[in-house]
Amino acid sequence: MTKGQPMADLKFVGKGISREDGVDKVSGSARYTHDLVVPGMLHTAVIRSPHASARIVSIETDAAEALPGVRVVLTGEGLCYRLGLYMQDKCILAREVVRYQGEAVVAVAADTLDIARAACQLIEIEYALNEAILDPRDAMQDGAHLVHPDLDSYDHMVGVFFPKAGTNVAHHQKIRKGDFDDAFESADVKLSASFYNPPVQHVPMETHATIAQALPGDRIELWTSSQSPYTVRHLMSVAFGMPHASIRVHVPYVGGGFGGKAGLGLEPLAYVLSRSAGGQPVKVVATREEEFNTLPSRQGLHSTIEIGCSKAGEIEALKSTYVWDAGAYADYGVNIGRAAAYSGGGPYSIDNCWIDSYVVYTNKIFGTAYRGFGHLEILWGIERAIDMMARKLKMDPVEFRRLNLLKEGDTTITGETFTSGHGSPVGCLDAAADALDWETPSAAPSEPGKVRGKGIAMLHKAPAMPTYTSCAAVIKLDEDGGCDILVSGVDYGQGTYTVLRQIAAEELKIPIERAHVTWECDTAFSPYDWQTVASRFAYMGGNAVIEAAADCLRQIREVAAHALDVEPDDIDCEDASAFVRGKPETKIPYGKLALGYTFPNGNSIGGPVIGHGRFIATGLTHLDPETGQGLPAQYWTYGAHAVEVEVDTETGEIEIVKIATALDAGKVLNPKLVAGQVVGGVIQGLGSALWEGFRFDETGRFLNPSFVDYKIPTAKDLPRETERIFLENPQPGGPYGARGVAEHPMISVPSAIGNALFDALGIEFTTLPLSYENILLRILETHAEKE
Amino acid sequence: MHTISFHVNGEPQTVRVAATMTLLELLRDRLHLTGTKEGCGIGECGACTVLLNGAPVTACLILAVEADESTIETIEGETRNGQLSALQQAFIDAGAVQCGFCTPGMIMSARGLLRRNPEPTDEEIIEAIAGNLCRCTGYEAIIDAIRLAAAANRAREDDSLLDAAPPRDDEGAADG
Amino acid sequence: MLGDFEYVRPRTIEDACKLLLDGGGEALAYAGGTDLLVDIRNGLRAPKILVDLKKIGELDRLETRNGDGTVIGTAVPLNRIAEDAKLRTRLPALSEAALTIATYQLRNRATIGGNLCNASPASDSIPPLLVVGATLHVEGVDGPRNVPLDGFCTGVKKTCLKMGEIVTGIRIPPLEEESRTAFLKQQRIRGHDLAVVNLAGALSPSEGSLRIAIGSCNPTPLLLDPIETGSHSLDALADEAARMAEAAIAPISDVRASAEYRRAIVPVLVRRLVAKLMDGKEGA
Repeated sequence: MTKGQPMADLKFVGKGISREDGVDKVSGSARYTHDLVVPGMLHTAVIRSPHASARIVSIETDAAEALPGVRVVLTGEGLCYRLGLYMQDKCILAREVVRYQGEAVVAVAADTLDIARAACQLIEIEYALNEAILDPRDAMQDGAHLVHPDLDSYDHMVGVFFPKAGTNVAHHQKIRKGDFDDAFESADVKLSASFYNPPVQHVPMETHATIAQALPGDRIELWTSSQSPYTVRHLMSVAFGMPHASIRVHVPYVGGGFGGKAGLGLEPLAYVLSRSAGGQPVKVVATREEEFNTLPSRQGLHSTIEIGCSKAGEIEALKSTYVWDAGAYADYGVNIGRAAAYSGGGPYSIDNCWIDSYVVYTNKIFGTAYRGFGHLEILWGIERAIDMMARKLKMDPVEFRRLNLLKEGDTTITGETFTSGHGSPVGCLDAAADALDWETPSAAPSEPGKVRGKGIAMLHKAPAMPTYTSCAAVIKLDEDGGCDILVSGVDYGQGTYTVLRQIAAEELKIPIERAHVTWECDTAFSPYDWQTVASRFAYMGGNAVIEAAADCLRQIREVAAHALDVEPDDIDCEDASAFVRGKPETKIPYGKLALGYTFPNGNSIGGPVIGHGRFIATGLTHLDPETGQGLPAQYWTYGAHAVEVEVDTETGEIEIVKIATALDAGKVLNPKLVAGQVVGGVIQGLGSALWEGFRFDETGRFLNPSFVDYKIPTAKDLPRETERIFLENPQPGGPYGARGVAEHPMISVPSAIGNALFDALGIEFTTLPLSYENILLRILETHAEKE
Repeated sequence: MHTISFHVNGEPQTVRVAATMTLLELLRDRLHLTGTKEGCGIGECGACTVLLNGAPVTACLILAVEADESTIETIEGETRNGQLSALQQAFIDAGAVQCGFCTPGMIMSARGLLRRNPEPTDEEIIEAIAGNLCRCTGYEAIIDAIRLAAAANRAREDDSLLDAAPPRDDEGAADG
Repeated sequence: MLGDFEYVRPRTIEDACKLLLDGGGEALAYAGGTDLLVDIRNGLRAPKILVDLKKIGELDRLETRNGDGTVIGTAVPLNRIAEDAKLRTRLPALSEAALTIATYQLRNRATIGGNLCNASPASDSIPPLLVVGATLHVEGVDGPRNVPLDGFCTGVKKTCLKMGEIVTGIRIPPLEEESRTAFLKQQRIRGHDLAVVNLAGALSPSEGSLRIAIGSCNPTPLLLDPIETGSHSLDALADEAARMAEAAIAPISDVRASAEYRRAIVPVLVRRLVAKLMDGKEGA
């Protein structure tokens, strides 16, 4: 059962309506947290740890405090709070020890940013170096230096996450379906391979920024560049022991998030600074270097995959071991470890599947949610291993996948039954393969020394969210027949607010120009939304808006019925008016009902029409701690990328000739916006594939915290050709049959390219990024081996 | 301290600034023109692109004192009398705006391009915006928008929005 | 901006030199500022006075005189270098090199003099100037002197300039009609990047010589000894040049690239450079 108006008659849903916020953004009048000024606000500078692992011996702040214009100097000493959504392991400023190079140690709030920075230069910190553990595989060994010796004392989401006291393991997620050992033993063809993804950064163009004011009467007001105002409010409430209603969070325009602005960021620091400054508002803005070096990343991953197949090419057994490099704190990392495990079989039907997903502390920058939530990282390994296995079986990689993809009646590795409502992975495979003319091998380029190759990779993801994730929407009708929609999901570029406008206009039967989403989220009046992550806002927000619109129409019909002296069931709504069915001449415009209805003699009935809708995740269960069996997924979205690459075999330079992305979107709610998500996601995926990765020296010092040496794609780095194909096999329960597609466009870009590189060069790449240097050095190594 | 006089979006300004103030700080913090953004502070991302005497530059690496006797154009000046320019409209129509943080800098780079080269090839468009990083759009729609704007300008009879110098205070505002 | 400096803007070279000398090491020349301001922001340099050179007329000229070579004022921005038609005809290697530096916006500010005096081992403007035997006109309180570019850079980000001296112009000797120059740069990405390796070459048919300069492989950009072209075939010449290059470079591993990668691509790029020079096409 998909929700919404009949498909045949849709006026707005499915159309490429332009976004309303475009005007603010192109004219420079859109205000982001970076741009906000609260009168009297102080500015903040932060001192970052130069060491990956050290004890803080002393911090001398007298000279800094004496500098004119300095209002507050804070260290971690007075701030004994532990913060986190899933795992409360993080402090506001380092306490007693520093756990990664870049960790914030001291914060200064002053009248101007220059004074705050000058004050930082006057502060002397003495450290005693500790052992630093940098590789998560080493960190898992017995006797390894412990990043969190007090792990067993940390609060966490009990029953969902399982930290191992006395170790560096923040969480271990297990999937046990069938008997891998047995099935692998007896498999005809076996494969084992290991893979690596380095940590990368989201690189939102607007760095993290927060303004906080500690108000009298133990209240907090925040303006923050965030993806999750209600999570901020909740975690601040828990951390500082205040009722939720005492904390007000505003989220203005946000300049990109990609997961990095989910959960808590700078808010606790800004608040404690304001509190210490006697309630003066305090602004904290991350420099770009701090965005790289201090604020969280996407976790690195070491994975090992074993696959056992029959001669005929059926996957009988798959085992993955994931060692996630959580860095110094594992709050979101534990959930990524969990989600990766239940997705760890790929979109394939596998009877015997064991996954062990370990989230491991190291003394490096910590990881958080990042577009894809672990799926790009695991699919790098899975889809590369699938290709390797196809080669072992001497099967075409597309045919091998087609044989093993989930089909109706199959079960996933957590025991969920695959139905037609899941969409069509095979359809996506075929569409992507067709777009690259898969049957025809790459033509040899005319330039000497260049070769081409084609590759394909599947992708899948479900929203990784708690079983109780919910969302609400409120629609207020205006006296001119338009409406205001209130939600707390954040539109930080995806365009979801435009989709919600389309849905509201469609459901309420009003012109699209009359439907507005109130742009700024404010927890004082915008209704609850969990977080804008996980590709779930269009789905859940859309459903909430449908229900809120229905609620408005119910109220309208009730009042109109009374006004027209019929039953509510006799009232139809069309063109922003209500009328007796079959008698359009009786119509009353919404404007005359929105604030109640007044009879000719003056009597009034009804009242302001305010509709409320909500959606809560349904049918989800926790995963069994031993077997991982359960229902974690509200819906799955499947897709495929196919790519042709060209490589200069003498320099390693790689170019994308063409990349095609096929996604089963269920219903494309707005083709212009969805296209934007796909193109943007593919290019972001290209960044992970070819150029991005944190570099550390042997002491754990971060080496490339700026655009000089952390390269993201520019306009010069585009594929020569891109194509996108959307399948629309409806998602039961989705608004108009839609599924989330926000993260998916980047997920298997590296995998497809890695597979294409084998076709081009005959070399199996297992480590990202596929930089020109890495490609060339492997080419040379391969030639040397042959000789 | 230095006293400097200059025009911003056609408006004359006289201010006193310290030598250490950057043009970006002058625009955002002193003149409250917050349309120009800071993305990196080292000239690598282009978010702070403005036109200085008609040339696209990154304001974060220019000292405010250098604005003396100059003409500066920021994103706020692209809209005239409440009307979006063909370039701004093209960005909206082509879907070239997502989070919007890179958008002002992109538009200023594009404005600089269209002034010096009203009929750019795609390659020339790319060269002009290669110094403006975007993480959301993947650039395709932005290139489409600039191409669209160039075509729209060619079709216009009245090119006053395309290449008029910003109005000086004695001339009155240009027609939209 | 963090920092505590004064800003002065002299109108003459003489005044500029005096300000720099009087300031000791705490007065620094300021032109495009695209290196200097970043260093100040990152706390790597902390001058007390910035001496802005951009209003000094002589530093802004770009003159190509037939038969007399080319003089480029050091405060000429890189975009002007890239777009100058006469320069493109005479020294296409320099025009192309300029186009690969940073971004369009930065090239409206960054100057050729700044790029030279920053003396990065990866400088893109130095190799094209080395291969044509450029000399630098230097002014100081003790008077002017001419310094060959080869030898100007004395180490990583170090030059032979004395306190109070400014490079005011770059002189490129007249090049014969048939001479050809070319530039190649290997980056990590097509978007703007510092060189992993860069190369410039100049082929002088009448002298029968090929000169190659390589950047990002030594503490300073390196000018190889001239190679006699004689009656060598293209392949033989390319091989000889590649051999010389491999013997001369001493690359390090840094955050941009490993020594191994640099060593591997230098002979490849040298061969491509020689082919480009020999194939009769101008520049790119």
